[in-house]
Amino acid sequence: MEFNLNEETKMLQSSAEKFCKEKSPSPFVKNMIKDEKGFSEAHWKEMANLGWLGLIYDEKYGGSGGSFFDLFILFEEIGKTQLPSPFLCSAVFAGLLINEAGDENLKKTYLPPVIQGEKILTIGLRNEQGQYDHAAAALEAKESGGGSYVIKGTRILVPYAQVADEIIVCANLKGEKASGPTLFKVSGKASGLKKTPLNTLTGEKTFGVVFEDVKVSEKDILGAIGKGTTYVDKVLPKVITLKCGEMVGGLSKVLNMTVDYVKQRIQFGRPLGALQVVQHYCADISTFLDTSRLIAYQAASLIDIGFPCAKEVAMAKAWCSDAYKKSTQIAQQLHGGIGFTEEHDLHLYYKHAKVAELDLGDSWSHRQKVAEEMGF
Amino acid sequence: MRFTFTEEQNKFRQTVRDFLQAELKAGIFVTKSGGLAEGNNQEFSKKMAQRGWIGLTWPQKYGGQGRTYVEKAILIEELFKVQAPVAYHFLADRQIGPSIIHFGSEWQKEYFLPRFVKADENMKFCLLFSEPNAGSDLVNVATTATKEGDFYTLRGQKVWTSGGHQSDYGWLLARTKIDSSVPRHESCSQFIVDMKAPGVTVRPIINMVGCHTFNEVFLDEVKIDRKFMVGQENDAFKQIMAQMDYERAGMERLLQNYPVYEKVINYVKEMGKTRKGDPFYHWVQDSVAQLEIEFNIGRLLCYNTAWTIDMGRKPTSEAALTKAYCNQYEQRLNDLATRVLGPASQIREGSPWTLYDGEIADCYLWSPSYALQGGSVEVLKNIVALRRLELPRK
Ligand SMILES: Cc1cc2nc3c(=O)[nH]c(=O)nc-3n(C[C@H](O)[C@H](O)[C@H](O)COP(=O)(O)OP(=O)(O)OC[C@H]3O[C@@H](n4cnc5c(N)ncnc54)[C@H](O)[C@@H]3O)c2cc1C
Repeated sequence: MEFNLNEETKMLQSSAEKFCKEKSPSPFVKNMIKDEKGFSEAHWKEMANLGWLGLIYDEKYGGSGGSFFDLFILFEEIGKTQLPSPFLCSAVFAGLLINEAGDENLKKTYLPPVIQGEKILTIGLRNEQGQYDHAAAALEAKESGGGSYVIKGTRILVPYAQVADEIIVCANLKGEKASGPTLFKVSGKASGLKKTPLNTLTGEKTFGVVFEDVKVSEKDILGAIGKGTTYVDKVLPKVITLKCGEMVGGLSKVLNMTVDYVKQRIQFGRPLGALQVVQHYCADISTFLDTSRLIAYQAASLIDIGFPCAKEVAMAKAWCSDAYKKSTQIAQQLHGGIGFTEEHDLHLYYKHAKVAELDLGDSWSHRQKVAEEMGF
Repeated sequence: MRFTFTEEQNKFRQTVRDFLQAELKAGIFVTKSGGLAEGNNQEFSKKMAQRGWIGLTWPQKYGGQGRTYVEKAILIEELFKVQAPVAYHFLADRQIGPSIIHFGSEWQKEYFLPRFVKADENMKFCLLFSEPNAGSDLVNVATTATKEGDFYTLRGQKVWTSGGHQSDYGWLLARTKIDSSVPRHESCSQFIVDMKAPGVTVRPIINMVGCHTFNEVFLDEVKIDRKFMVGQENDAFKQIMAQMDYERAGMERLLQNYPVYEKVINYVKEMGKTRKGDPFYHWVQDSVAQLEIEFNIGRLLCYNTAWTIDMGRKPTSEAALTKAYCNQYEQRLNDLATRVLGPASQIREGSPWTLYDGEIADCYLWSPSYALQGGSVEVLKNIVALRRLELPRK
């Protein structure tokens, strides 16, 4: 056991921290909620130039073959300032799916532009209840002859669908020869795609996408027919762990904001922070942060070295979901009326914590996984 | 001990219910959580007034009905279960009226009380207590009221004033003695301020739900006649202590999100039709059963507090304990609702695929406010510890 970051990771962390602080102050984050695109093109380019988007990919695709743990550290920093971008859906989720399922030709075509930020991909894996349904997708792909398929159904909470060049979906393919859950990439401009912006708690750009008989060809299939679920399940632990990174980052910001505030807010002739009950609340958030960080770092680090860690990932998401949310609830309470205003920044985290909790399985569903991993 | 209602009480509940059902049917209002502070439906208040449901517990000589607080709790329970639009008269009925009855001058009683019970024009009140530097530490108010002959001149700033932009009058706490040798809680008085008076400026504050319900209120050389001072000069805190109990005691503290609760229950019942064997269903069922227990306990606490008042006792610690409990229950309810309903519950009003038109999402956003307004949960727990348990201050 060793709990320090190595020098390289530390350098990456401090440059990421600087970048996020500089580029993503809270007024910017709030403006992006109202912005049509929802992120800054300029930031996106810079993130690509910094090598963030290609960090974990092979050099032959333009990546830098870096460590997953470093990527986790980036997401922790992103979570601190809530820097909005399609990083997670495009360069992580979609990129990893292509990397996992695609043949060499597809990887060579898609990964470089994704890594350079020239192409944006997104993921449509959530059904109309917002649940990931790749194990039994409600989206259908029917053979329509001549090696083409027709996709029909609805995906919601599809991030940045309005700017996505391709949407990756898992559709239930019904074919003569082969059937089963299958990954497709669908052009963002395909006819029959209907995208509706959704107003959600965080205001992050996300869409409902209806597939009205969208035509795709067998060239759009990623990997093998019937193996969609397997590919997604292979990639999901990484995405979940990075989501935990985002949450740990958010949580650390919440702790800082709260401690700063109770030091400076005077009631009854002394700082709120001098009240023991307030001190205990702060100590609780601090405990939530340390515990979340440890359990999430553990998952990230085990993924990094290629250890089996299904249980560790599930433990991390279960724990971080509760810890981050509870911390934001305590923080709201300690901030009093001022924290309930739109002008204040705390609600960004209160909302993010709720949405992150509900994404990719909440604590309940990940405790189920932990139990399964324990052999129950 | 009797955990049932009398026949008369049941009849009263039924009358209220029938009225509300008819109003709902006629489309006068819709049932949706989170909107208590919003809306100004004077017409609806008038209908309640005609039935004697404003000032229900007040003495008959002031136009009230002299009914019990338990009956009032029944009324409030029925109103809030369907989220009836009571905002116009709610504050006057809950605390302004009772304060005037206890501490007001004859003129104030004659002027305001009959108008309250009739839900007359221009009778909506807001509360001008909190200030930037006086939240939990309310005795720290810096707004001053300086006596000049028959007038007081008000100078200062208030904040978090719910409904300030829709109100005709503000119920104000201000400092009337600027003398550092006098304890702060013996130097404040209460006033009724015309919100349209020259020098009163109301500025909106948008809350984190994205709504405008509370405000900043600036008082710049506002002149008011001395007849608008309530009670004794410098006695405000004695009066507020008595008044706060009424503000805190009510059933509404349990029921601001009742429609969410109903929706969760119905949702789970539906789920049970297809997912009985699903482990998620078991978890949900257990969680909702826990909420049901919490809700029922909250209801008993509210009725117990009402009954305590009917017994002629001061409900200070009961009201504090009840409010703290209910606030936390409502926060747990809204949190759990999002998890039972799943990720689609994050989709807000007006977007397709939203559940219950964003009500669940909005209620999660309203949640932090419950444990702050009307006395924060921590301040209430302090009251329970110090008053009920007589724990030492030092
Ligand atoms: C939605 C909403 C509507 C409101 N409407 C009105 C209104 O109409 N009129 C009006 O006058 N006010 C209104 N308020 C203000 C409300 O009464 C105050 O928010 C409340 O009194 C807390 O004050 P504060 O916000 O300044 O927080 P602070 O007093 O700064 O408290 C911050 C935190 O510290 C804790 N704390 C403070 N002192 C202690 C202590 N001694 N022991 C333990 N913990 C402590 C508090 O519990 C809280 O968690 C409203 C507030 C909200 C959120």
